[in-house]
Amino acid sequence: MRIFGGQRAFVLQRLTALVLLAYAAGAAARLAFGAPVSLEGWRAWAATPAGAALIALLAAALLLHAWVGVRDVVLDYVHPLGLRLALLGAAAAGLLFLGLWTALILVSHAL
Amino acid sequence: MRFKVYRFDPESRAKPAFRDYDVRLQPADRKVLDALVRIKEQDDSLSFRRSCREGVCGSDAMNINGRNALACITDLAGLREPVVLAPLPGFPVIRDLVVDMSTFFRHYHEIRPYLVNDEPPPERERLQSPEERERLNGLYECILCACCSGFCPSYWWNPDKFVGPAGLLQAERFIADSRDRATAGRLAFLDDVYRLYRCRTIMNCTEVCPKGLSPARAIEHIKVQLLRRSS
Repeated sequence: MRIFGGQRAFVLQRLTALVLLAYAAGAAARLAFGAPVSLEGWRAWAATPAGAALIALLAAALLLHAWVGVRDVVLDYVHPLGLRLALLGAAAAGLLFLGLWTALILVSHAL
Repeated sequence: MRFKVYRFDPESRAKPAFRDYDVRLQPADRKVLDALVRIKEQDDSLSFRRSCREGVCGSDAMNINGRNALACITDLAGLREPVVLAPLPGFPVIRDLVVDMSTFFRHYHEIRPYLVNDEPPPERERLQSPEERERLNGLYECILCACCSGFCPSYWWNPDKFVGPAGLLQAERFIADSRDRATAGRLAFLDDVYRLYRCRTIMNCTEVCPKGLSPARAIEHIKVQLLRRSS
């Protein structure tokens, strides 16, 4: 797989879409058939290792999927190199910040 | 029958505009190309390409009521009036309905649209099994009219870098050919963020192909083969 071949992003987009789809189906099933969960119950579940791992996986898939999408939009529409780099840099920084923030929340709950 | 035809004269300072025509059709006039010939009789300044007038040469591809098609095989019956005729979207207009297809054909040449095989040729011909020949069906029939590329948003955005549905369909035609020996090189050339992966499977190409081909499916085949090679 070439670094700038385009296939990496193509595969990543589809794999993360599958993860998001599985989560969406799971969440829909839980909402439709499960008993309502209180905020405390939700926080307690998120603090368990399994809950934290599932949320981390969801966040990672969501952020990577968003990155490929934003990157594609920028590659399509934004042709001046400087503006393109600035937008891609801003998107990467924003998504990275969101990822770190999610990690921080999960770690602080686990401690 | 009423028509609105896109007019642009590069030698005048006037901006492109649609001009209305009211055409008295003859009983034998059945296709959009027939109407264009009648319009040309009224106004000989109108420019458009046409040649075979039977859907084989692909010269008269244009946008007819918002959809790319060949004028020579598009029935007048059933078209909403006024029939709006415009050049292929996304292509630079040379004059009226005539577009500049140099970039389109540059992409076509880049995919090496010919068999590459350095092995000594057999005495008569390079044979294929019926199954190998079958794989070329749905690929070799492309007439390069550019209806597909001119209806592809990804091609509109990056016409200079994205090979486009027509070029990629032609690439798959040679990748799928059992007599060709350059598959690895062809796939390596296409494995590029622009040349192949600008395709979003929008499928406008398949929707408008006047020959009923599916460039979208051909592009998926290329992506699958690239995936198999890298795994």
